[in-house]
Amino acid sequence: MTAVDTGSPDWTEQWQEVIDAVGRDFLEGETTWGGDPVERGAIRRYLEPLELDCALHTDPAAARAAGYDDVVMPATGVIAWTIPAAWRPGEVLFDSEDRNAQPVHTAINNTDLGMGPKTTGFFGTDIELDFDREVVAGEQLGRRGKRLVACKPKETGVGRGAFMTWESEIVARPGHVADAEPEVVGRIRIGTYAYVPHPKKDEEAAR
Amino acid sequence: MSTVPNALTGRRFDEVTVGEQLPDVALPLTVYRLVMAAGSNRDFNSIHHNTEYARSTGAEEMYANTSFLMSSWERLVRDWCGEAGRIRAIRGFRMRSFNYVGTTMRVLGEVTGTRVEEGPQGAVGVVEVAVRCEGPQGITVGPGTVEVLLPVDASYNEENTP
Repeated sequence: MTAVDTGSPDWTEQWQEVIDAVGRDFLEGETTWGGDPVERGAIRRYLEPLELDCALHTDPAAARAAGYDDVVMPATGVIAWTIPAAWRPGEVLFDSEDRNAQPVHTAINNTDLGMGPKTTGFFGTDIELDFDREVVAGEQLGRRGKRLVACKPKETGVGRGAFMTWESEIVARPGHVADAEPEVVGRIRIGTYAYVPHPKKDEEAAR
Repeated sequence: MSTVPNALTGRRFDEVTVGEQLPDVALPLTVYRLVMAAGSNRDFNSIHHNTEYARSTGAEEMYANTSFLMSSWERLVRDWCGEAGRIRAIRGFRMRSFNYVGTTMRVLGEVTGTRVEEGPQGAVGVVEVAVRCEGPQGITVGPGTVEVLLPVDASYNEENTP
């Protein structure tokens, strides 16, 4: 990682090694499993802020009548249920009392690529999903591989950085059966923008 | 399960017409809702629940997270198709601008294409729905496409089986 000189006209050159890495699987085929199997209660909580009412997601009897082994995970839940656990026993997650301090590590925020400029801003831009079949409660989901398929440096209204697209397979196994052979149940492409925020006006004035 | 069971309640393929508008979904984006969404979809990025932090990243305010936005498309489609539908793909889910707290996000959809595919258990209807989110300033997400599988009547199979 190198520090970003946000005032340099050649700031995009610092992204060249990331551009050169397009096509590389940054996880080398490794699977990152979700922190928990898909669970009935977690599905119910997922539906609450959406006010999404569908018996396939909430009523085991209705789901079984429809031919499923248990309640069905909402299709878009594939993102939530492939997020790894935020904390594991023995780890320290919070090491600062600062109001806005971030956890020591997180699976959501920008991960260190091990190359390219260091960025502090990050958000998702676009997603494509393919679902080969439904996932039901009791199964555990993971993302296999993390291939960089695009990297395009660009300055935006919030800062300077790069749009990147990552591709993974969605795999499933019976919950709590760690040695079960994963089954591919879908694919996901995630676009992100990692950036260095523009200096605030008062910070610029102080320069 | 790769096809759509015919016994499920909800919309049938032959009821769908291209150009059909799906009933809108309106979602007021309160802090309460965004915090519930973060807790349930596990996206705890502070930009989604902390105004001060979100502003430090260049945004005007905290804003709805990706999972919530995408699942709002599922809400729209599921409300319309009922249990009978199966979402097979989502494409063009592009977030164009932030969906800020303190606004109401509307989710809108229109049927843009229909076709029948042969599956292992007979014909299945494929419906393409163009979906977008709108905020006070216009489109914030999409328009993209949700591909939905719907059951076709047995009569279709009988009429179209050689």
